[in-house]
Amino acid sequence: MQQPRVVCHALEALFRARYPLTTASPPPGRRKKRASSMSTLASSTKRGTDRSSPLYLAWRRFTRSKPGVISAVVLLILYLIALFAGFLSPNNLVTQHSEAVYQPPQRVHFMREGKWVGPFVYQLEKKRDPVTFIVKYQENPTRPTAIGFFLRQGERYSFLGFKTNLHLFGVAQTEGYFFPLGTDQFGRCLFSRILVGSQVSLTVGIIGVLISFSIGILLGGISGYFGGWIDNLIQRITEVLLSIPRIPILMALSTVIPARWPSTWIYLGIIAVLAFIGWAGLARVVRGQVLALRDMDYVTAARSLGAPDLRIILWHIVPNLTSYLIVSATLALPGYIIGESALSFLGLGIKEPMASWGLLLKDAQNFQALNLYPWLLTPGILIFVSVLAYNFLGDALRDAADVRSD
Amino acid sequence: MWTFLLKRILVAIPTLLLISLLVFAVIQLQPGGFLQNMLDDPRVSPETVARIRAQYGLDQPVWEQYLGWLKNIVLHGDFGFSFLNNRSVSSLIWERLGWTVFLAVLSIVATWAIAIPLGIYTAINRHGLAANLANLIGYLGIATPDFLVALLLIALVLSTGGSNVGGLFSPQYIDAPWSWARLGDMLGHLWIPLIVIGLEGIASLMRQMRANLLDVLGQDYVRTARSKGLAERVVLWKHAVRNAINPMISLAGLSLPNLISSTIIASIVLNLPTIGPFLYQSLLDKDQYVVMALLMLSAFMLMVGNLLADLALAWADPRIRYE
Amino acid sequence: MRKILWLLVVTLLGGLALAQPKTISGYDSLGVVNGKPGGSLTLALSSAPQTFFYYGAIDSASEALANQLFDGLIEYNLKNYQIEPALAVSWSITNGGKVYTFKLRKGVKWSDGQDLSADDVVFTYTQAVANPEAKGGDSENLAGVKVEKLDASTVRFTLPKVAPAFIQYMRLPIMPKHKLLAFSQEGGKPAAEINNAWPTSVDPKEVVGTGPFRLVSYTPGQKVTLERNPTYWKKDATGTTLPYLDRLEYLIIPDSQAQVAQFLAGNIGQLNITGTDFPTLKQREVSGAPIKVVQFRALFGSPPHLAFNYDAKNPELAKLFRDTDFRLAMQFAVNRKRIIDDVYNSLAELPGNGMAPISEWYYNTTKLLSNYDLKAANAALDKLGLKKGADGIRLLPSGKPLEFTLTYGSNSSTFSAIATILQSDFKAIGVKADLQGILAANLLSTGRSKDWETILLALGDQPDPELRTPIWKPGGALYYWHQSTFPASEGGPPQFKNFFPWEKEIYDLWDKAASTTNFTERKALYDRWQAIFARQAMVIMIAKANSVGAVSTKYGNYIYDLGVIPGYYPVPLMFQR
Repeated sequence: MQQPRVVCHALEALFRARYPLTTASPPPGRRKKRASSMSTLASSTKRGTDRSSPLYLAWRRFTRSKPGVISAVVLLILYLIALFAGFLSPNNLVTQHSEAVYQPPQRVHFMREGKWVGPFVYQLEKKRDPVTFIVKYQENPTRPTAIGFFLRQGERYSFLGFKTNLHLFGVAQTEGYFFPLGTDQFGRCLFSRILVGSQVSLTVGIIGVLISFSIGILLGGISGYFGGWIDNLIQRITEVLLSIPRIPILMALSTVIPARWPSTWIYLGIIAVLAFIGWAGLARVVRGQVLALRDMDYVTAARSLGAPDLRIILWHIVPNLTSYLIVSATLALPGYIIGESALSFLGLGIKEPMASWGLLLKDAQNFQALNLYPWLLTPGILIFVSVLAYNFLGDALRDAADVRSD
Repeated sequence: MWTFLLKRILVAIPTLLLISLLVFAVIQLQPGGFLQNMLDDPRVSPETVARIRAQYGLDQPVWEQYLGWLKNIVLHGDFGFSFLNNRSVSSLIWERLGWTVFLAVLSIVATWAIAIPLGIYTAINRHGLAANLANLIGYLGIATPDFLVALLLIALVLSTGGSNVGGLFSPQYIDAPWSWARLGDMLGHLWIPLIVIGLEGIASLMRQMRANLLDVLGQDYVRTARSKGLAERVVLWKHAVRNAINPMISLAGLSLPNLISSTIIASIVLNLPTIGPFLYQSLLDKDQYVVMALLMLSAFMLMVGNLLADLALAWADPRIRYE
Repeated sequence: MRKILWLLVVTLLGGLALAQPKTISGYDSLGVVNGKPGGSLTLALSSAPQTFFYYGAIDSASEALANQLFDGLIEYNLKNYQIEPALAVSWSITNGGKVYTFKLRKGVKWSDGQDLSADDVVFTYTQAVANPEAKGGDSENLAGVKVEKLDASTVRFTLPKVAPAFIQYMRLPIMPKHKLLAFSQEGGKPAAEINNAWPTSVDPKEVVGTGPFRLVSYTPGQKVTLERNPTYWKKDATGTTLPYLDRLEYLIIPDSQAQVAQFLAGNIGQLNITGTDFPTLKQREVSGAPIKVVQFRALFGSPPHLAFNYDAKNPELAKLFRDTDFRLAMQFAVNRKRIIDDVYNSLAELPGNGMAPISEWYYNTTKLLSNYDLKAANAALDKLGLKKGADGIRLLPSGKPLEFTLTYGSNSSTFSAIATILQSDFKAIGVKADLQGILAANLLSTGRSKDWETILLALGDQPDPELRTPIWKPGGALYYWHQSTFPASEGGPPQFKNFFPWEKEIYDLWDKAASTTNFTERKALYDRWQAIFARQAMVIMIAKANSVGAVSTKYGNYIYDLGVIPGYYPVPLMFQR
């Protein structure tokens, strides 16, 4: 079937909706909602000034939203961090240091004996409390270790196809450790794991949302638009899909997916599974909206002008849902980021020794960690920050796309 | 309207059958099960396991087990037998249904009662401080896994010396008759599960409501209503909110099966006496007829929810007609 | 009036003459003092009971309750696990260890007032334990055993052949015939009907036992309430009737974190925890919380082991896994010290091979377990001709990398931590282990299937090796790492042709040990087995966790108790201060 192309249409519709008028010429009988923006377009082309183009207006509306702009910047930084994770992380993400398990974050010092000596850390010494068996660390004042920059050491990582072992900062491996955010149960550097884990966590949601929204919008749209037996069929399919419980499916899958698969395959497989289960709810909502809109004047007008049905659904009806879709998409993202950690509970998610934020946060979910190793909660802070950024960005985009908000 | 209802009910039967078939297949795909785990006990020999398998008809072909299960439902209204509990599935579910329905209804009502007004408020006061604060709390809710929220709340209660760290009652009130003291004790426990279960739902409903309402507020008919000089209150509630709520109704229909299957992990951490943990345990043990009955109940509720949502859609939105 | 008084005195005296209470004493070293009657205690159950009939299910919750509601003919000494009289006051073993004759304790009453009699014992063993259809029965070990009532208080078991661990089965709880006859074959029902006795919806008054407590109520999925059995047959050193506690309640809390929370909140009086939770709780104790956290070396409990599938689907791997030298080489890369330190918070010890280190059957194999030594591991693998490839992974003879899956319980923090440590150390010796997480509940069934290459699994230790024959005797139902030794047909003999010589030797040792009741002889045979086990690294034992318990200081006479071991009953001694 021609599904892929259709999916592209759906995506295009999404983008067109956000930025009301791009290069594509509006089809005849364009939806009512656009009426005002159409006139804006008409007047702007007449005047020929950039300043009043809808895109520019949207941009201006967007930049006026402080949270939106800040969020965009934060997300940009996060994605850059993910891209340069190998370079930014001082340690290898899988190397275990049995002499440094559950080590708290090391403090960076600059002054030694009253003199400025540049950034350095003290090496920590591990001691187990003889009564409570709590592992405690103490700074060893006789072992200051300078933090160096642009170090070449450790295992190689690949960056854009290059293999390198250049790290932005760290301490010389021969002299000791530097764990800026402490370590986990195996003495692995949490900071490095968070950085590398961001590669998974910042993409899993986007890809998942793209897949499930494409299917959901398309099938929900068709269902509501055509009604009759098609509606009935698609709705029954969604009911079946929604009825089949996720946990047993995932449990069955966890025994089927071979352990040999490299982490990236499993990762993609999981996203696909999550997305294929996830579209049904959205399809219901889209259908409800389409039902309400299909008999509106502009739709009937488009139909009477002979516009193909799919075109009407995707270009005339769906853009009305832009608001809803942007918001649901930004709301669905954290579900993927966190949901991925629930999968690892079933042995399905990102596998050790790879990392993702959800998986890292799982280590913090017991009283022992909350009491004794609170730094393990840091991935949670990052999840929160990214979710916050996505959602504020979503709100700002929604408002920017809303032509009547001026 | 009535023919529509009748049609839907007729269609529901084959759908339920299809679902039951799929669910049965999924259960058969599950690894493990109680029979295998019995072997770890020194009392049990493989021969015993084989005999018990035969006793429960698990040595028969899968399709025969399925048909037998189906036949018993149709002929005797019997949803099967729990291998582990040596009891009928329906009596086991019945025992646990009360609190499940109570909690689910309460959390759904609370979620909606809080989220919809907040959504409206944040839509009207888009850039206000209170609105942003509400958003922030909402984001916190969706960005934190529910079991972490549960754990954090429990840790908070513990650090303040409280004893309401799980369940719905203090131990001495679990099997006590109803009294004001028992009610008070329950209220003291109830807020934690309500926050844990409700927080995520509130955030998403609120944000969706805000977006929908903002959309609707810009529509021509709202403008028309305004220009006609209608009071803002009337415009907002009678025209805007009623339309903005459409997508939410579809969602509400989907929340009915949550009675059974949602928040399983949070219910386990919070030790809630609901069906979720029971379903999970039955799944692990592969107590197949318990799982079947629960999942079919869940599917049934989903279909009822969808049907109700469709009717509510038609009622709330005059543009929708079912022919 | 006088007459009545006289009557009372006579019946009392008569009762005393008849009754043979058991005095519980001699536990000073466990810190046991004379308690005071009254009070209540709340404990945790990890799951809802499936039934109140012990023989109707294999279920830890039902077992835990049965331990408070019923008694066996014999029980364990709380200090040293030696066998002591319980419902039987004495017994004799005659005819070369084939005839066991038990004299019942006089004056023991069921909680509904009826007298315990030999009929109940015969009923329990013939209708429930030996019933092959009873889910929680033990028909295999009672096969061919004749159980007879000699008189109202004497029961005789006649065995078809010598069974050294037979006395261990006499710990099983005795059930009331007068309540259960209607569910039994003797009562005219099909054999499987016994499983339907006392479902959780039963009227609590029907559940009648001889134990220290009796059932009061069950709130489905939430709570089980028991109360003191006033006619219990145990007394403390001062003659006070046990148990001290008036009420015993069980809260059903599946999640271990939730259990800890309820304990810290004071809703649970005593809780068994793991090494993971020890530091947090101990810290609270040290800082003045009214709790006590204690740890002991454990006899029971399931020590994890790493097994290699001798019959792996990949023939090259199977060949390697069957090679003792390979397993020994891999053992060098198992860092037990680190696992004990980091995973168990130091609350574990080096494992035994099949027997717990504090068991009387334990043979010290620590010297054979080998220390963590990656150099030695590398050298041994080199010697096997497994050369390292370009990426540092060793190559199999076919040129394929030495890579296998390592299956572990993904929802168990202990298993996943051990798996992660093993994976990292194996990588250092050029062996690639791909972690395959599955739910811990499915580990055993996966192990018994063919779909695994290496697996981390834990099987329970028992006080007598004989009780674990299916695990350790080659060809047994749980000898899962070498499935080609499984009997070709159900109930048949193992496939001897697939035995290794050392497996045959173990098999013969176990056969011989099963045919004598002489402890010294048996011990020598089992010692030999443990040495072979360790030398062959049949499976690689990882660590034996300590038992860790936490108790509120409100309670006295706390003795650690798994809660589900038939015959080990410390709760009647506990009292509320």
